[in-house]
Amino acid sequence: MGPRTHRRRFTAGLAAGAAVALALAWALLGGERREAAAVREERLAVVSAQALAELAARSWGKREALPDALAAFQAVAPGVRGARVVALSGARLEASTFASDAGVSPAPRRLAREEKPIFDQAQRLRAAVVGNREGDAAEPELETARLASGAIVAAAPVEVEGQVVGSVMAESVAPPPARGTGADLALALAAFGAAVVLFVALSFALGERRAALATASVLLLAGALWGYGAASIRALAEARRGVEADVAAHARTQAAAVSAGLARAGLDASAVTPERWDVDALRRPRALEGPEVEARVADALAGAAAHAKRALALVGLLGAALLLFVGVGGASRTGRALVVHRQAYLYVAPAMVGMLVLVFFPFFYGIAISFSDQNIYNASRPLTEIWIGLDNYAAILGDFGVIRRVAEGGFALGYANFYYTLLFTIVWTATNVAFGVAFGLLLALVLNTKGLALRPIYRVLLILPWAVPNYITALVWRGFFHQQFGVVNQLIQMFGGAPVAWFDAPFTSFLTAFATNGWLSFPFMMVVSLGALQSIPADIYEAARVDGASRLQQFRAITLPSLKPALVPAVILSVVWTFNMFNIIYLVTAGEPGGATEILVTQAYKYAFERYRYGYAAAYSTIIFGILLVYGTVQNRVSKATEAI
Amino acid sequence: MARRRDELPHLPLHLFLLAVVFVTIYPVLWVATIAFSGRQSLAIADVPPDPTFGDRLRAVLPWPAEWSASNFVSVFRDQPFASWMLNSAVVAALTTIVGVSLACTAAYAFSRFRFAGQRAGMMSFLVSQMFPGTLMLIPLYIIVVQWLGLGSTRSGLVLIYATTSVPFSVWMLKGYFDTIPRELEEAAIIEGAGAGTVFWKIVLPLAKPAIAITALFSFMSSWNEFILAATLMDKEDMYTAPVGLRFFVGGFSQQWGYFAAGSIIVSIPVVVLFLYLQKYLVSGLTAGSVKG
Repeated sequence: MGPRTHRRRFTAGLAAGAAVALALAWALLGGERREAAAVREERLAVVSAQALAELAARSWGKREALPDALAAFQAVAPGVRGARVVALSGARLEASTFASDAGVSPAPRRLAREEKPIFDQAQRLRAAVVGNREGDAAEPELETARLASGAIVAAAPVEVEGQVVGSVMAESVAPPPARGTGADLALALAAFGAAVVLFVALSFALGERRAALATASVLLLAGALWGYGAASIRALAEARRGVEADVAAHARTQAAAVSAGLARAGLDASAVTPERWDVDALRRPRALEGPEVEARVADALAGAAAHAKRALALVGLLGAALLLFVGVGGASRTGRALVVHRQAYLYVAPAMVGMLVLVFFPFFYGIAISFSDQNIYNASRPLTEIWIGLDNYAAILGDFGVIRRVAEGGFALGYANFYYTLLFTIVWTATNVAFGVAFGLLLALVLNTKGLALRPIYRVLLILPWAVPNYITALVWRGFFHQQFGVVNQLIQMFGGAPVAWFDAPFTSFLTAFATNGWLSFPFMMVVSLGALQSIPADIYEAARVDGASRLQQFRAITLPSLKPALVPAVILSVVWTFNMFNIIYLVTAGEPGGATEILVTQAYKYAFERYRYGYAAAYSTIIFGILLVYGTVQNRVSKATEAI
Repeated sequence: MARRRDELPHLPLHLFLLAVVFVTIYPVLWVATIAFSGRQSLAIADVPPDPTFGDRLRAVLPWPAEWSASNFVSVFRDQPFASWMLNSAVVAALTTIVGVSLACTAAYAFSRFRFAGQRAGMMSFLVSQMFPGTLMLIPLYIIVVQWLGLGSTRSGLVLIYATTSVPFSVWMLKGYFDTIPRELEEAAIIEGAGAGTVFWKIVLPLAKPAIAITALFSFMSSWNEFILAATLMDKEDMYTAPVGLRFFVGGFSQQWGYFAAGSIIVSIPVVVLFLYLQKYLVSGLTAGSVKG
């Protein structure tokens, strides 16, 4: 580990750090590029559909001419592969240039039964337009779908005198494969090369001074990333402006095609309105030129730039960590340790790799998800794009609405509130563990009676609840509490009581889960206590009796202290088990009524797999982990302190 | 323990124990009753419109009106229960083989070698037991289903079960390896045996009992696992037995006869295993938490 290697190490570190950071940045920023391309294709298709809608609306009074008009339109319109006009009244296909539509019989004709989706879509669009006009919802008034070929089919409603009378569909020509990734990759490689070459040159000047080398290499890494990021944003701005220009140009050519179509139908072909074709999902037009276009580009870029900043900061930190690890010799030390202890690592490696991939990585990935707004809709996007920082934690921990005022003037408990669920979980854990210890200990004391007959048989039968898989127990007990057929209500009625709707009130619902868990958890405590009792030497009691101690005194002075070493770890363990007793709550009460009997783990599960709010659920689970960690640490301290006494 | 017999009469104790035993085995008897009743109903007996005390008693006592094995036959014939059992068996068996092999080598290294990161490795295994399942579920779902494309496959489940069973198995096995005297291995090394030979020919055969017990635990826990299987197995014919049993009586389905018959079939092996293993489990669990 001579001082001469500093230069080489930092060069290697910079190369590794920059390579990893730039590759990650390239992958993360690629989403923006792909999105710009997708936006372009979709807007072009929408413009075509809107142009077609105008053509159809203006020739609606003369629909017999539509097939000809459509053919003329498509002959001129670039980028349109197929067009279709559907009338809602009579479910008719008025005109179509889709090859697949001509197969049955050429338009105009009624829509066939298997073409119902087309009719449904037209109705959906009409419902959206009508609903949005009444202002009660914001349903999309356009529909786009991407075909397997990469082409986009856009559908738009046809409006005549304020009434939606039909719909049009336009299929765009499949776009050429995306360009620009090559240029971007070259940019990343250039940034990488520049940083490494500059560092090698600089290192001759700096010599073997470690601090200077470290500073220089980190600065160069940051510079390379910044340069790449800036160039990438500039390229993106270029692409966005290109999109706007393409859309404007496309609208103009479509206008010419509409004019041609109208002329063929023998209608007035003037005053075509291409400025109303580039629209958003609610058919609000965007300006094709002027300052609004630049504002739109700036708006799109602001989002992209914010994301790029987060992504670059993240990968920069990662790259710098790798750089310094290699630079200060961590990598070579690790390498040497690997060589020296290669046998040990070889034995540990399979288990460790599995744990890393399927235990530790998911754990840290889960924590990363907790800082994002991930849900079922955006799950495929990189986390840096949906990063929301501590918002999930603030939403969970900052909501103190445990008690809410309801409309009638009374108060209600907010069952979805975190603190309510936490309180319920604590009550659930405390009552269950207390019952388990008390009942388990009582049974152990009884079973430990000297000379009691049938002891082994009792013992086996009493352990049975622990042996039965607990999901079966849970489902059986849920059946017991069935309002009509359940055994418990039959018993109540046997003695003249009225049947109870167990899952309709929080307290009775809690009782069902408590009964179930009590049934299955006392055997553990019983077995542990019994083991401890049997290890107490009999002559201690003999001596105590000789000294005249009463039974209660013996119990307090001998039995309880001797039980402690076994009971304390058992209680610690059973607290964690009960706190996390997913199966019982999930299968017995299922949180009924209205989430009142949810414990933290089942609540987190429901957020993830019933409400699909992955980010929120991950934050929830991370908080649970925090609670368990605090519990573990405190418990460790306390048990160490008690051991010391 | 020496308590004088005249202090506590045994009869009340027996009565107390009998009462508790009755409550304890009642659910078990109930499951058996439903299973052998040949019906799908949740009720043991139909209660007439204006029931007397006797009718109600009849509906509570776990004794079927008529005995029939038809639920056992048709749960296999009319329901895909056989393939669920097969899924569970294959998954549990493969989990055991993979998990215990991983754990054996790792535990041996942790027990016998001194190397950088040894303590950190053992501690990380211990801490991983505290990770909440729900936090792991979302990433595991993404990794296994979306990235690896192993949703609704046995291999996806085996991978997860096997790795998550490693920490417990490693701690159990390391404890046992520590008790095997080193002199045996040293003697073998002096005679020219390599580390591999020592591991295969000396340590593993000596550790057979511990390995068997670890394997049985591993088998049992994956046989009983419910949440992961319910989350990852979407296709009905790929359900494991626990997910399938819930399918009979969860939601709107009320096929209690199938559920009861299936429960008995699924439970018998694990209950027998458990009764045999529980003394090892208690000592393992309490010892582990004292150390931790």
